[in-house]
Amino acid sequence: MQKKGFRFYLRIYFKILAQDIKSKMSYRADFIISTIGMICTNIAGFISFWILFRNFPSVNGWGYYEMLFLYGFSLVSLTPVQCLFDNNWSLRMNVFSGDFIKYCFRPINIFFYYQSEVFDIKGLGQLAFGIGTLIYAWVKLGLVFTPLMLLKMIVFLITASLIMISLQNAAAATCFWIQNSFYILDLVCRFRDYAKYPITIFSPFFRFLFTFVMPIAFIAYYPSLVILRPDEVPVLSWISPVIGCIFFFASYKFWMHGATKYSGTGS
Amino acid sequence: MKLKKYLTLTRAGIIESLQYRLSTFVMVIGNLLYLIVVYFLWRAIYNSADSDVVNGMTFYDTLIYLVLATALYGFMEIYAVWEMGRAIQSGKIVLDLLKPMEYRSHLFWSYSGTFIVNFIATFLPTFLVVAIVTHGTIHFGLNLLFFVISVVFAVSINYSIDFLVGTICLYTESIWGINIMKQMVVLLLSGATIPLAFFPDTLRTVVSYLPFQSIYNAPLTLLLNGTPDPQEVLRTIGTQIIWCIVMMLLSKGFWKVSLRQITVNGG
Repeated sequence: MQKKGFRFYLRIYFKILAQDIKSKMSYRADFIISTIGMICTNIAGFISFWILFRNFPSVNGWGYYEMLFLYGFSLVSLTPVQCLFDNNWSLRMNVFSGDFIKYCFRPINIFFYYQSEVFDIKGLGQLAFGIGTLIYAWVKLGLVFTPLMLLKMIVFLITASLIMISLQNAAAATCFWIQNSFYILDLVCRFRDYAKYPITIFSPFFRFLFTFVMPIAFIAYYPSLVILRPDEVPVLSWISPVIGCIFFFASYKFWMHGATKYSGTGS
Repeated sequence: MKLKKYLTLTRAGIIESLQYRLSTFVMVIGNLLYLIVVYFLWRAIYNSADSDVVNGMTFYDTLIYLVLATALYGFMEIYAVWEMGRAIQSGKIVLDLLKPMEYRSHLFWSYSGTFIVNFIATFLPTFLVVAIVTHGTIHFGLNLLFFVISVVFAVSINYSIDFLVGTICLYTESIWGINIMKQMVVLLLSGATIPLAFFPDTLRTVVSYLPFQSIYNAPLTLLLNGTPDPQEVLRTIGTQIIWCIVMMLLSKGFWKVSLRQITVNGG
């Protein structure tokens, strides 16, 4: 197969995207309700946060606004996985019913084609909410704003997103081997909620576990340290972009391995 | 025999859910991991507080409350809204309506087997681990009996709410958004995310007049109270019974009215 360039894929991506948005728009009520639902979810998360800090001024030396920063950071970094990789949730159904075979016959990368098919617009509400929270926390903490800070912020947000995407890819891909992989995906999804807490609250064993085995600490904690506590940044924070890329590549290979092994249901 | 036809559905449900042993396993693992995260998080929170008892709850109380709330959620959440929504969208609902049993009871009793299996396979192990970890904070006495009774009503109220929300799908044809909204409202206002004792006074008063607190807060408060006061127990369970009846009538009535609205595409 001839190698296709980046521009080729970009052009195809926008074509598929346009189709998806058109089809979504035909269910307008669903779109509006889903968006409201997404906003409600974020507000509920915020309320529980607020209630917690009304009772306790700080957690393990982390103040309200610092925790809020971590919270906003995790929300923003979860947006790409929500918007661009939402089709992973349907992978199980597609594999089970045999519909997945159609992706195997396209002359483009299966992973790319599969993921590009769905764009989840309601994730954008979360993005707005997250950015709002981040800016609010940023101002309240009195952090200086320089272009360098912004650059760091963007690089580390991308890193955090990559980690989350990899976790979800790997969890979704288990359905090529296991029948009911919904619970695994759901478990990973539940875990990303814990990403917003500083990893230092855990005992060394779990710190290790959440850093290297199930790397949720990279979703908000390690990257945020670079901005929040510039004096005590561990090496792990600096190398987290590399770790993010490695994880993403590994999960991609794992996903593709499952996809190429797929033999269909015979129908 | 009227009961026999229901129990047949229960039996079928038990057999069906025994097919998915892996999902049960993953659920228990998920509960235990949650226990670990909650343990460390609240340990850190209580360490930062000035006193051992905050809002009348010790660290172990909070731990038991939150972990068991999640375990209860795991076994009560049957995705009835999804099931109904999908049946409505696909038109399968027509077949269910033709059955010689009310749709509402048919759906409930087909899930009853799952309740039993999940209670034994996921709730009990989690309960035992929590009881061991908290070194006998859970008093083994009459409160266990009250807890079980209370859970039965909680299941019923939860199902009524699910059914009510599922009925809305007849009008909106949106599942995801409606479901996520329901989930957030129930989890936050029932005390499953943060114990109701931590809520600010006004909010707590409002919440106490809503049905949601009867789902998680009522059974868990009864469980944690080692020396139950008869009046208190009667009031809690009485409130639950009232909500149970009210929600049942509401969901039944709403369903009846909505059935006239139903439009099935193709069937």
